[in-house]
Amino acid sequence: MSVDRDSAEWWDLVAKGVLAVQRCSSCGLARFPARAFCAACRTEGWSWAAVAPEGLVESWIVSHWRAAAPFTVVRVRLAEAPRCVLYGTWRGEQEPRRGQRVRALFADGPLIEWTA
Amino acid sequence: MAKRLLDFRDAAAVAGVGYTPFSKDSGVSTLTLACRAVLAALEDAGLTADDVDGLATHRVGDSAAPSVVGPALGIAAPTWYLDHFGGGSVSHAVVGQAALAVAAGLAETVVCYRAINARSEFRMGTAPNPSPETQYLAPYGYGAPVQQFAMYARTHMLKYGTLPEHFGQVAVRQRSYAAANPRALMRTPITLDDYLGSRPIAEPLRLLDCCLETDGACAVVVTTAERARDLRRPPVLISGAAWGGGDSFLAPGEPTVTAAAALAPRLYGMAGVGPADIDVAELYDCFTYSVIVQLEDYGFCAKGEGGPFAASGEGPPVNTHGGFLSEGYVHGLNHVAEAVSQLRGEAGERQVPGAEVALSTAQPGHILAATSALVLRKG
Repeated sequence: MSVDRDSAEWWDLVAKGVLAVQRCSSCGLARFPARAFCAACRTEGWSWAAVAPEGLVESWIVSHWRAAAPFTVVRVRLAEAPRCVLYGTWRGEQEPRRGQRVRALFADGPLIEWTA
Repeated sequence: MAKRLLDFRDAAAVAGVGYTPFSKDSGVSTLTLACRAVLAALEDAGLTADDVDGLATHRVGDSAAPSVVGPALGIAAPTWYLDHFGGGSVSHAVVGQAALAVAAGLAETVVCYRAINARSEFRMGTAPNPSPETQYLAPYGYGAPVQQFAMYARTHMLKYGTLPEHFGQVAVRQRSYAAANPRALMRTPITLDDYLGSRPIAEPLRLLDCCLETDGACAVVVTTAERARDLRRPPVLISGAAWGGGDSFLAPGEPTVTAAAALAPRLYGMAGVGPADIDVAELYDCFTYSVIVQLEDYGFCAKGEGGPFAASGEGPPVNTHGGFLSEGYVHGLNHVAEAVSQLRGEAGERQVPGAEVALSTAQPGHILAATSALVLRKG
C-alpha cells in the first residue's frame, strides 16, 4: 500500500509511536486524515498535534476473508479529537462494545491497532 | 443558488433498454458486452447506431470507454459523451446527465451503458482505487465494499435496534421477485432460516446480504420526450434527476445517514412528487442494509425505522426484478431498466399493477462520496 505525499509524515510519526492529527494554524480545527487545506477555513497553515492514543468504539466488523482466520476491524473516534475517525485491527479477547474506551497499540508496519 | 436556466423535468425519456445475459463468466471482453447491450437497447427503441450522437458510461478502470465503444460500432463523432469515473454511486448520474444533454440540445440520442466482468475479470474492489483514504484502510485488511457496509449496518443496529431478521426479509422478498424474472441469476426461493444460516462474510453481514458479482452489461437509450413518443416503445419520462453530495469513510459525520437524505428533496422537488407518489422503487442493493437506509433517507419511513419497515413490506414494492441480490449486479443501470419495464407495464408476473411513477437510485453515498437517483414516469 503506497503512502501519499500528504500522509507520509503522519505514518512516520506512527512509526515513532506518536498518534497525531493536524491542527489548523488559522482556526484551530483538529483534522484527520492528512490534507493540505483546512475544510473549515480553507487555509493551508497547520502543524502536527500529538493526541492521546485513545478513543471510543463506534462500530466494528468481523471479517471472514477466504482462508484467513476471522479478524475484527474497529471504527474508532478519537477521544481528544472527536471529528477524527480511524479504522484499525482489534486486539482483544472479547468482541468490542459500542462506546467502549480503547487505546492505540503501535504495531510493526507501522500500523495502528486498538485494544481495551 | 444559481438561477435555474433549464427545467428539464419530463424533457427527456428512456426510449429503449437492453441487456446482455448475466453470468459468472461472460467469456468476452467488456467492449463486446458494451456493444451488445448498446445494440440491444437501440433495437428495443427501434433505432440503429446511425441514430446515436451521444454515448455515456461510468467506470473505475474496469471497462470500455465511449471513445472505444463508439468507433467499435461505427458511431462517428458523437456530439456529446460522458466517461464518468465512479462505481454504483454515479450510475444514475450518467442517465441524468444524458437527460440534461438531450434537454439542452447537445445531443438527440444518447445511449448510456455499463459493461462489467465483475466476476471473471475485475472482481469488486480490485480495480485500482486512487482514493487517498485507501492507505488508512487497506493495511488492516479493510476497505472491500462488504466490509464498509457491514460497518455502517452495525452502527444502524447499535443505534436503532435493527435486527438480522430485518436484513433477511429484504433478501427473502427480493428472491421471491427474482423467481418471476427469467433474467435473474438466482431464482430459487429462500427462507429466513436460509438467510440466517448463510455463512458470515463481514459480520454482521452474511452471504445472502450480498449482491451477486456479475458479468454483464445493460444500456438505456435517452432521447427527447417528443421523439420518444414516435418510437417503437412506450416512452418513460425522466421526471427527476439529481446527483451530488456524499461523504467519505473517514468523515466525522453520522454514518447512519447517507447522501440520499440531502439529495431526496431536490430529486422529488424537480419531479414534483413525494415518497407517497412512488408506485415502485428500485433501491440500490449492493447489500440488504443499503435498502433499509434508503427507505429512511428517501422518506418512506422515519430515520431508524427502516429495518421493521422493510421487513413488513410496507411502502411500494422494492427491487421487483430481484435487485442486485438476485437478478445480477451491473452497478446500477439494471435498476433503471427494471423501472422502465414496470412503467411500460411489461414486467410480466412481477408487474406492479398500475405503476406510473418509479424511483430508481444509486449507491447512497458511503463510497466515493456521491450519490444519484431518478424519478421516472409513464409517458
